Amino acid sequence: MTEIVKCALLLALFSVPCTRGTRYSPPDKPKLTSCRSPEKETFTCWWQPGHDGGLPTTYALYYLKDNSDTIYECPDYHTAGENSCFFNKNDTSVWVNYNITVVATNALGSNFSDPEDVDVAYIVQPHTPENVTVNVMEDKGWPFLRVSWESPHKADIRSGWITLIYELRVKLEGEEEWEEHHAGQQKMFNIFSIRSGSTYLVQVRCKPDHGFWSEWSSTTYVKVPEYFFRERSLWILVMIFSSFTLIILLWIVHMNSHSLKHCLLPPVPGPKIKGFDQQIFKNGRSDEILSALMVPNFPPTKSSNYEDLLVEYLEVYVSEEQELILEESKDSCLKSDSSTCDSDSGRGSCDSHTLLTDKCGEAKRERRASGEDSGMTIESQKGWEEEALSYTQEDVATPDVSSRRVKTWPSVFSTVPQYTTSPLDQKTSLELSKQHCLSDTLFPPGSSTKEVLGPNYWEFDLSNKQSHLPQPQTHGSQQLQAHSDVNISYTGNKQVPALLQLPGFKSTEYVEVQKVNQEDMVILQPVESDNCGRDEECPHVLQGEDYSKVKGVGSDNLLLLQSGVKARMGDEMEANGVSESCYTSSSFATTQKHIDSMHSATIPGQEEPIRATTGYVDTTTMFTLPMY
Amino acid sequence: MPGNITSVPAVWLWSVCLLFCIRLTSVGAAPICTNAQAGCHVLSLANLFDRVIQHSARMHGISNDLHNEFEQFFLPSKNQIGRISRNCHTSSILTPNGKENAQRMAREELTEVILKLLVAWRDPLWHFHQSMSHHHDFNNFSSSKALEISDMVHELRKGVEKVAEKMQNLGMIGNFVNNLASPETFLTSDSAEWRLMRNYDLLYCFRRDSNKVQNYLKILKCRIVPEHGC
Repeated sequence: MTEIVKCALLLALFSVPCTRGTRYSPPDKPKLTSCRSPEKETFTCWWQPGHDGGLPTTYALYYLKDNSDTIYECPDYHTAGENSCFFNKNDTSVWVNYNITVVATNALGSNFSDPEDVDVAYIVQPHTPENVTVNVMEDKGWPFLRVSWESPHKADIRSGWITLIYELRVKLEGEEEWEEHHAGQQKMFNIFSIRSGSTYLVQVRCKPDHGFWSEWSSTTYVKVPEYFFRERSLWILVMIFSSFTLIILLWIVHMNSHSLKHCLLPPVPGPKIKGFDQQIFKNGRSDEILSALMVPNFPPTKSSNYEDLLVEYLEVYVSEEQELILEESKDSCLKSDSSTCDSDSGRGSCDSHTLLTDKCGEAKRERRASGEDSGMTIESQKGWEEEALSYTQEDVATPDVSSRRVKTWPSVFSTVPQYTTSPLDQKTSLELSKQHCLSDTLFPPGSSTKEVLGPNYWEFDLSNKQSHLPQPQTHGSQQLQAHSDVNISYTGNKQVPALLQLPGFKSTEYVEVQKVNQEDMVILQPVESDNCGRDEECPHVLQGEDYSKVKGVGSDNLLLLQSGVKARMGDEMEANGVSESCYTSSSFATTQKHIDSMHSATIPGQEEPIRATTGYVDTTTMFTLPMY
Repeated sequence: MPGNITSVPAVWLWSVCLLFCIRLTSVGAAPICTNAQAGCHVLSLANLFDRVIQHSARMHGISNDLHNEFEQFFLPSKNQIGRISRNCHTSSILTPNGKENAQRMAREELTEVILKLLVAWRDPLWHFHQSMSHHHDFNNFSSSKALEISDMVHELRKGVEKVAEKMQNLGMIGNFVNNLASPETFLTSDSAEWRLMRNYDLLYCFRRDSNKVQNYLKILKCRIVPEHGC
């Protein structure tokens, strides 16, 4: 009894820790994972055990063969490893349906797996191919890989029992993607288009005609050596040919080196001075150089070439504004003028005058505002003189005595402000500031042209221009200064009042200077113009003695012109012409005086006495004077 | 007069055509020459074997496709007992089930087994095709395949017979059981079993038997003409 009790106690003691907190159960259902046959002669089945339920579990595999009811058990549980069953050749029947079941058994029970049907013929998965060798071969100088292998030794290809097809893959060392090739049943394969000097990896696998692919064989490395183009004969030919060609080319180039040089690098023409010998410079003697630099006929001092050098017209500017403008922006003006003039710059048709006034006018405005009368006039006169001189110098020669004519553009300068702003802007403040230093009779009616508000031109005929020109310089340009007794003021397009419509004067711009008499008077003669026909107020051209006499040079270096025509202007003009001087003045007094004087002239038909006052157009201050 | 002119070239044309037709009919297909007659295009045994093996491989492929198709649509329940007791009507034909058995078998026997198998499947496949075309459950692809394999069985049988004949002529095999007379002699009394089989089982059995045929032919070839691809 006591022994039994002891045994029971021992059992309880032993069993207690085992059973404490754990539950035993029959094992879970195992699962037959796969069955594979490497050569269609044997095959192996593996299963996966389930939970063993806490108890030691044993597994058994039973199978049924093709419609028979005999249950067989796995003959070999160990050869293939754990949880496997190996069927050897004797137990393997091909084209027989095996119905396999795995049983898990433990102390508490057993569990059957689901039966699986297996036909050996369709579960063949061979081993990997063996002896994979890769050789680098050469095909006409180009390398290629020859891969050869052998079938797995267990697969019986020779008897025809199994037919294997192969597949291989290649890749460059370091790359990711393989390049696969199907080799069929052959045991050799050529891979072309490989790179020299690189290492390749090759793998092979096989498959029976109805079965599974084997694993890839172990990687075989192959290093392709550097291959140079081996066609030596071709290289030699190419080298010889190219060298021949090169030699011939060099020879040709050498033969034509001179002409090539001339073609590629044309000689730069050197500077040449007519009549100048460059050799003198090279000799390096200074006196010779200087003498060579001296142009023999420069400057022209003789009148032998006067005919060639003379220009027809000498531009004489009468307006003080012009002088001011000239003086201020002499350089720029002159330069611009000279630049814009054509080659025959002495002619009056040169449009540079207008441009000159344009450019000069802006600078002159400021001066005008300052309101210096005489000084400005003097300055302007001087500037004008200089300009005239420059003009004359441009002409390069003294004008001829007889037929040369000098144009004066007095009004041009007076219209500078308008030009600067816009030629069409007739309402500028400088409308009235147009001054015309004209002789009494020489004031042509203001033309209605937009550009020139009746620019009045005199054409001076200077007998000896050169001699006279310096004189104005010295004498303050007295002779050349045209002083107009008639003060004309223009307002844009408005017609010049009848006062200004001097008979014999066209609305055009030109007044011919016939000659300069001995008294240093410029005799002006109006020039026929086309504009006259259009203009109603175009005065009748005074035939014959239409000229303005230069009375003299005023105190402020103004050229006082005296109109010879007294048809209209009469003595008043003359009187005015004497007393008045052409200058641009913004001073009220002077303008007033001029206006008054002008007004006293009582030009018939004058409706806007303001405008037809002095010979110069004043600033807006004058214009706004409604005192009349 | 114009009739005479046109009739002459017509007569000429007809005569030429007749000559050609006679010549064409006389040529016919190149026969398999026996005894290596001169001027006869002889097909080597190896080539014959290759052709036959390719044919059988193709047949097996089609049968495999059909079987898989059937398996998808008509997956038989695994719990059915009938599955286990599937019995092909050709199971009565003793076929080697292993490499040793196949290699141990004589060439003549092997050839005979092949022929037996091919003969046994002619009628069942024909009826299978008939049932397929009647049942519109299957697509045309399966129906055409069924027809194809029935034709292929027939063609393959003819090819194997020719191979056997050639082998016999070459003296490679002994006297051959003359099975050309009546294929039905191979069929046993329980040949009607196949009528009871379901289509799926029929395809299962045929897949297996076509695999056998292919394998046996390969064995035969490598035994008789081993120098070509064995």
